[in-house]
Amino acid sequence: MSGLDELDRPGTPESPGAGGAVGAVGAVGTPGTQGAAAGAGARAGAGAGPEGQRPTASRRGAADPVKALMHRHRELCERAVDPLEIAAGLEAHGVTDRTAARFRHRDVFSLAEEMYARVPRDGEAPPPAAAAPAPRPRLDRALLTLLPGVLCAAAVTGVRLTHGRTCLLVAAAGVLAVTLALRAVLRRGPLSPHRGAHPGPHRTDAWTCWLLGYAALGDSLLRAAVAGGPDGLPDGTADGPWPFAAAPLLTLTLACAPAAWSAHLLAVRARRRLDTSRGLEEFAASVQPLVLGTFALFLCALAALTPLSAEVLGEPAAYGHTLALGALLFLARLLTVHGFTQVPAVALGAAGAAEMLAPATVFASRLPGCGFLATPVEGLVAASGPAGVPSLVCGAAALTLLVHATRTLTRASAHAPTDQPC
Amino acid sequence: MRIGLLTEGGYPYLSGDAGLWCDRLVRGLEQHEFDVYALSRAEHQEEAGWAELPPQVRRVRTAPLWTAADDGVAYGRRARRRFAESYGELVTALCEGEPPGPPDLEGPPGTVPAAQADRFATALYGLAELAHDEGGLVGALRSEDAVRSLERACRAPGALRTAREARVPELLAVAAHLERALRPLSLDWYGDECGDGGEGLDAVDLCHATSGGAAALPGLLARHFFDVPLLVTEYGVRLRTHYLSSGTGPSAAGPGSAPSAEAAPAVRALVAAFHGRLAAEVYRQAACVTPGNTHARRWQERCGADRAKLRTVYPGMEASRFAEVGDSLDTADPHTLVWVGRVEPAKDLVSLLHAFSELRRQEPRTRLRIIGAPAGAEGEAYLGHCKVLAAQLFPDEADGPHAVGDNPVSFEEIGGPEAPTLAEAYAAGAVVVLSSVVEGFPVGLVEAMFCGRATVSTDVGAVVEVIGGTGLVVPPRNPRALAEACVALLRDPGRRARLGAAARARALELFTVEQNITAFHGIYLELVARAPMRRFLFDDGDPRPFAVPAEACLPEHRPGPDPRVTPRHGPGWAAEPPARDTSPIAATEGAR
Repeated sequence: MSGLDELDRPGTPESPGAGGAVGAVGAVGTPGTQGAAAGAGARAGAGAGPEGQRPTASRRGAADPVKALMHRHRELCERAVDPLEIAAGLEAHGVTDRTAARFRHRDVFSLAEEMYARVPRDGEAPPPAAAAPAPRPRLDRALLTLLPGVLCAAAVTGVRLTHGRTCLLVAAAGVLAVTLALRAVLRRGPLSPHRGAHPGPHRTDAWTCWLLGYAALGDSLLRAAVAGGPDGLPDGTADGPWPFAAAPLLTLTLACAPAAWSAHLLAVRARRRLDTSRGLEEFAASVQPLVLGTFALFLCALAALTPLSAEVLGEPAAYGHTLALGALLFLARLLTVHGFTQVPAVALGAAGAAEMLAPATVFASRLPGCGFLATPVEGLVAASGPAGVPSLVCGAAALTLLVHATRTLTRASAHAPTDQPC
Repeated sequence: MRIGLLTEGGYPYLSGDAGLWCDRLVRGLEQHEFDVYALSRAEHQEEAGWAELPPQVRRVRTAPLWTAADDGVAYGRRARRRFAESYGELVTALCEGEPPGPPDLEGPPGTVPAAQADRFATALYGLAELAHDEGGLVGALRSEDAVRSLERACRAPGALRTAREARVPELLAVAAHLERALRPLSLDWYGDECGDGGEGLDAVDLCHATSGGAAALPGLLARHFFDVPLLVTEYGVRLRTHYLSSGTGPSAAGPGSAPSAEAAPAVRALVAAFHGRLAAEVYRQAACVTPGNTHARRWQERCGADRAKLRTVYPGMEASRFAEVGDSLDTADPHTLVWVGRVEPAKDLVSLLHAFSELRRQEPRTRLRIIGAPAGAEGEAYLGHCKVLAAQLFPDEADGPHAVGDNPVSFEEIGGPEAPTLAEAYAAGAVVVLSSVVEGFPVGLVEAMFCGRATVSTDVGAVVEVIGGTGLVVPPRNPRALAEACVALLRDPGRRARLGAAARARALELFTVEQNITAFHGIYLELVARAPMRRFLFDDGDPRPFAVPAEACLPEHRPGPDPRVTPRHGPGWAAEPPARDTSPIAATEGAR
C-alpha cells in the first residue's frame, strides 16, 4: 500500500493523491495535516507553531512521541491489565496500524506492548475497591417483621375473649393471618434466601409447623400422657384437660423482628469484613465472632421476650423450651438464607421426629409388654417436667446447627453477592 | 451433511446480533441439515421468541447463559478431588504470567501429545469430563473449594502481580465470572450415551461456531469428545469485545453490589487471561477460522491462530436493493455530497462539517446531505450539536433576492420525502463521504459501492481493505484532506464514474451474500473431507478411511459401511455450488 510510504516520508509534495483515477488510496493532503492525523500524541508533544508550518523534523524530533501518546491515553494505560487491552482501547480511539507506523511500530499490538511496558508501576497496592453499598435497613421491612407477633397477640386475645363457634373462626383466621405474615417476612428482607440459592429438595415447612405445634400443645400432651390422659381434645384454653400454651407461640412470632434484625446485622457486617479482608482465612477468623455474637444477640432478645409474653398471657414462662426452639429455628433460617439447606433440613427433621417419638413411646408403653418403652421419657419428665424433652431435643439440634454455622457461615462464598451481572 | 450451528445470543432468537447472517447461511445452504445449538444471553431474548426457521433446520436446542440452575448434586470425595485438581490447574494457568503469545509453536490439531497440551486446555477438558460424568459443576464452581483453589493459585509464587493483590471480594468476583463463563460445560448437549440416535453434538459432521467465546466452547468440547471438526467464524473478535466492554465497566445487568469488585484490576486481569486462553485454545483446536476482515484476522493471529487455518470470509450483503441504482446512469446532482449512516459521535460529523466549510471555499455551489437517524440518546445529543454547528458555519442562502433560502447542509432521515429508500439516498450524491474516526466493517461504504458511487472515506477499521483502491481514502480527523479529496472528485466527473464502476464491480465480487454462502459451502466440504467419519473404526480404534460413501452425508440417509448407492451422479451438494442469482448484474457489469 503506497499510502503508508507516502505518509512516512518527510516532506511529501503537495496533494499527492489527486492524480490517478483508480488506486488512489493513500494520503490526500499536506504534510502538516498528516502530522495532525498522526495522532494527537504528536500534536500534544510537539505542539509548537501552527500546523501548516510545523517542520517535519519536529514531529520526528519530539524525542518521544510514544510518551505523548501515553499521556493522552494515560487512563487507559493505567487501568490496562495487559497489552491487548491497550491495543483494543487504542483501536477504539481510531489508532490504526498506519498510525502505529508513525511511532516506529509494526502494528498497534507492538505499540501497545511498548506502552504497557512503559506504564510506571510503583508497586503500591491499588486502593481497595469501593465498599459495596450495603443493603439499607428499610422502615417498612422492619415494621413488617413485627407483623406476625402483633397478629399472633391479636389472635390469642380474640380466642380468649370469644366462645364457641366464634372462637373457632377467630382461631382459624388468626392462624391464617399469622401464616401469611410469616411468609411475607421470610420471602423478602434479610430472612429471604439469596437470589440464586438453590431451594433444593429440602423443604422444612412441615417440620417447622410440627415443632411450633408441639410448643403449643406438646408439653401438656406429654404431661397428660404420663398421667394417663389425655381426657379430651384441646379447647384452646389454658385450663382445660389438654391446655393450650400460647406464650411460646407469641414469643416466637414476636422474635421474628429480632431475628430479621440480627440477620441483617450479620449480612452487613460480614459484607464489610469481606471488603476489607485480604485472605479467606482472615475473613473466616473475623466472621466467626460475628456469627456467634449475632446468635447471642438473638438469644438475649428471645430471653427478654419470653417472660414478657408469659406475663402478658398469664402463663408460666417456659424458658428452656422456647429458647431452644427459637435458637434452632433461627439458626436453620440463617443457614438457609446463606444457601446451606441440607443440614438445617436434617436437623429440623430430627428434632421433629424426636418430639413425635416422645409421646408416642408413652402411648406405646400402654400396650401389654411394652412398658419399658416409656422409661426414658418418664424419667426425663420426672426429673425436669414435660418441657425437658423438647428442650433437650431442640437444644441438641440447635447446638449441632451452631457448630455447623460456625464452620459454614465463615466461608466467603456464603456471603458472596449473588446478583452479579451475567 | 449435518452442521451443528453454535450461536450465542443470536440466531434463532429474534433479537440476536448475527441473526440475519445465520439466517441467510442456513437458507442458502439448503442441501445440508442444520442442528442449531443456541445459547441465549438474557431473559428478554428468550421471551422475544425465534425467527422463522427453514425446514433444513432439523433441531434447535437452547440453553440460557444468564442463569444456571444448581442441580443439587453434591460431590463425593473422589469427585471433589477431581474438581479441585482440574479447577486448580485452570486457575493456576490463569494466574501464570505469560499472556497468549503469537503463533510460533503451532502444530496441526490433534498432533500435540497430551503431555504437552496446554495446561489450561487439560484443565478445561477435565472439568468438562467431570461435568459429563457427575454433573453438579455449577454448584462446585460456586463452592468454597473453588474460591480456595483460586486463592491458592493467586498467592502461589510466580503468579501475576495483579493477581497476587486479589482480595476476598475480588476472588469471589473471579469465581463467579468463571462459573458464568463455564456454564456451557454443564450442558447436556454432549450426549454420547444416547446411542446413535443423533441426540447431541456427537451426531453432527461439523460444528460451526458463529462467534468465539461461549459459543465456541461447546464446539471445543465436541472436538475433544467426538473429534467433530470445528469451524469458527468471527466477524468481531470476542476477546477484543471483552476488553472493550470490561474497559467501560460492568455490563448493565447488575445494578447491585457487583461493580466495585468487577472493576478491580485483579478481576479484570484474571478474567482477561481466561478469555485470552480460551480464545487461543479455540483457535488451536479449530480446523478453520474465518475472520470477517483483516482487522479480525490480525487479532486472531495475535491470539495464537495458525495462519494456515485463517481464511477471511467477508460478510455478505444484500445487493439486489441497490441493483437499480447501480445499473442506471448517474443522475445525481453533480454538486451534492451525501453522508449516510447512524448519527453517533464515532462518525465524526463535526470533522465532516469542517471539511465541508473548507470545500465550499473552493466549490461554493456544493451541498451536503446528512442522511441518517441518531443512535440512542448520545446520538440524539450529537445530532443536535451538529445541527447547531452547521447553522453557525453556513448561513442560509437563496438563489436570488426574492427567493426563500435554506442551509447548504441538510439533515434528513431515510424514509423522508427527499430520500425514500436507502438506495435513493446514495443515488442522490455525486460523492459519498464517510468521515468516521472509528469503524468496524463499514457497511455504509459497501452500500455506496453497490450503488456505484465514488467515495471518500477515512482510513479507519476495514475501510482500506473494503475499498481496495476504488475510492479515495484520507486520514481520520483531517478535514482539510477530506475536503481536498472531495474537491478532486467533484471537479472530475470522469474519474467519479470510473471509480464508481470499479467500486461496484469490486463489491459485487466480494461482498454479496452469494459469495459468503459459497465460501462457507466450500469450507464445509473441505473440512468434512478432511475429517474421517468416526463411526466406523478399525479394531485398534483408528478411523477407517473410505468406510462411508459421500452419500452418507445426504439428508435422511446414513448407510453403513456397505456402499449400495450408485455413484453415477454424485451427491447433489458436491456437484455444484449453491444456486446463484447474480447473473444479470454480473453480466451488465462485465459488458460495461
